[in-house]
Amino acid sequence: MKKFWSNLSLNKRLALIAIIFGLVALFAGDPYGGTTIKVNEKDLVLSTVGNADKVLVTDLADWIIKGKSDFELIDLRSEDKYNEYTIPGSQSIPLPQISSSDLLRNQKIVLFSDDDVASSQAWFILKTKKYKGVYILDGGLEAWKEKVLFPKAPVNDSKDDLAEFEKMKEIAKYFGGQAQTDSSAVETKQQIKLPTAPTSTTKTSAPTGKKKKREGC
Amino acid sequence: MTSITKWITHVFEKEDGHEHIHIDAKPYSNPYLVGIGLGLVLLAAFVIMGRGLGASGALSTLVAVAVNTIAPEHSTGNNFYSEYMGDGSTNPLMDWLIFQTLGVLAGGFLSGTISHRVKKGVEKGPRISTKMRFVYAFIGGGLLGYGAKLARGCMSGQALSGGAVLNLGSWIFMMMVFVGGYAAAYFMRRQWT
Amino acid sequence: MNAPFFKFEYFNSDVSLIIAFVIGIAFGIALEKGGFGRATILASQFYFTNMRVLKVMFTAIVTAMLGLYFLSVIGFVDLSLVYLTQTNLLPMAVGGLIAGLGFIIGGYCPGTSMVAVATGKLDAMVFVVGMIFGILVFGEMFPGIENFFNSGFMGTVTLPSFFNLSYGLVVFLVVLMAIGAFTAAEWGEKKMEAKTGREKL
Repeated sequence: MKKFWSNLSLNKRLALIAIIFGLVALFAGDPYGGTTIKVNEKDLVLSTVGNADKVLVTDLADWIIKGKSDFELIDLRSEDKYNEYTIPGSQSIPLPQISSSDLLRNQKIVLFSDDDVASSQAWFILKTKKYKGVYILDGGLEAWKEKVLFPKAPVNDSKDDLAEFEKMKEIAKYFGGQAQTDSSAVETKQQIKLPTAPTSTTKTSAPTGKKKKREGC
Repeated sequence: MTSITKWITHVFEKEDGHEHIHIDAKPYSNPYLVGIGLGLVLLAAFVIMGRGLGASGALSTLVAVAVNTIAPEHSTGNNFYSEYMGDGSTNPLMDWLIFQTLGVLAGGFLSGTISHRVKKGVEKGPRISTKMRFVYAFIGGGLLGYGAKLARGCMSGQALSGGAVLNLGSWIFMMMVFVGGYAAAYFMRRQWT
Repeated sequence: MNAPFFKFEYFNSDVSLIIAFVIGIAFGIALEKGGFGRATILASQFYFTNMRVLKVMFTAIVTAMLGLYFLSVIGFVDLSLVYLTQTNLLPMAVGGLIAGLGFIIGGYCPGTSMVAVATGKLDAMVFVVGMIFGILVFGEMFPGIENFFNSGFMGTVTLPSFFNLSYGLVVFLVVLMAIGAFTAAEWGEKKMEAKTGREKL
């Protein structure tokens, strides 16, 4: 074997090495890693228990009004639902496509869907793919409607609560909703028209409208 | 044209006109070893940056910036320029490909100096005048610039980088480059042989 | 440690520019050592007298391909994060053809012309000026050809996914193809040398 090797010219040796690597590649498997994921159990559990991965709807509303743009807001529902109504500035990535999206791992990502289930699943998928800043909008779109678009008047009329409610009214107005001063209105919530999807304004004001510089040459 | 030729030649003569020591240039290394070296550089780019190498992109950015400086309203309406200008949050000149291309210039000069291959000259066959060579170089450069942009990359960005990640479009591009080259080689033989 | 490092934010984009410069230097050295700074050597590829371009390029592709493949298989590199240019079939084929013509007429390609400029080749400087002109023409024509530029869109497609073969098999086939091409190139060069009586550059 050694003699065989030393008899070969440099070029032939290189060719032989390449062929051996190629042969190994034939049986080594898929480099894209398929659909299996590895999980660091402790990591996941700790971040969930601490509730550190949740964003309150009121906080989100605050961020949007203040024009904060250091986060990507992701709507996980179907595109039909997205077109019907979505939180201003959000980007539509239906849950099945979340793993093939081009979100960056260093971005702050806020996920939401109707409730918490789909966003929890997406959160888990992204976490296993080593995304760092993934957050769930607590309560999803339901909570958004309830607390931001159509906030209810406080039950007891303490001064603090009322002041808070006045603020909420302003916020609701900003997003095209309406505060519910009359407590009976809660029951008729279903009839309240959602603000029409501000698609045109979303497209321009959203951070997603950014043009990414291409990486090729 | 002749005067331009003379001027270019003249500028260079001034620079190294006093250099009379003649050292033989070293022969070029074994192509396969160079290839492995180049492959490892490419691999490093993939592993560190997650992207391949490029060359024409840097020139595109320069062109886009130049157009944007001269006629800003003209460039913003053009998707080609605006793509290279980015979203305005970063300086388009602080770009990966521009710094990489500066590195290529430095590396080429470094390697050429060490091997005594930096020498003012014109690359051509014996049967063609320098003037005609310059004309061809300009036409060829123009075609390559145009073709590379149409194909979303050049030999480095498409053929080399895309080839290594088995990108379908890159392999088609590579094949077509060779087709185009071999098809026109006969008509260009006076220039090279 | 996970790769690609940049995509996992091990360093910021300012540092990436320094890395770009260093990688560029290595790229430039490799191209210069390969003899790619000389148009006569590059062009001789198309007259079968010197197949350096093919040898260096394919060796580089095979090396990087094998390296990336095995680093991904062992889980070091996340291959899905490595940038893939999207495929637009027709524009790429036409662009390749035009670039091929430009290559044989001009004698350089964009990367090699930079090395040639750095080593004092005057024709390469003219070539670069021509290239800037070509890009400018493309940019000015862009609104008119934008539809063609975006036609034949296939997304990001790799050879394995297109031919529905396993990635490993395609890697193996590319290695075989490269070695076949090298053998043919060595044989052809000897033939041409005997025929023309000229030694290769």
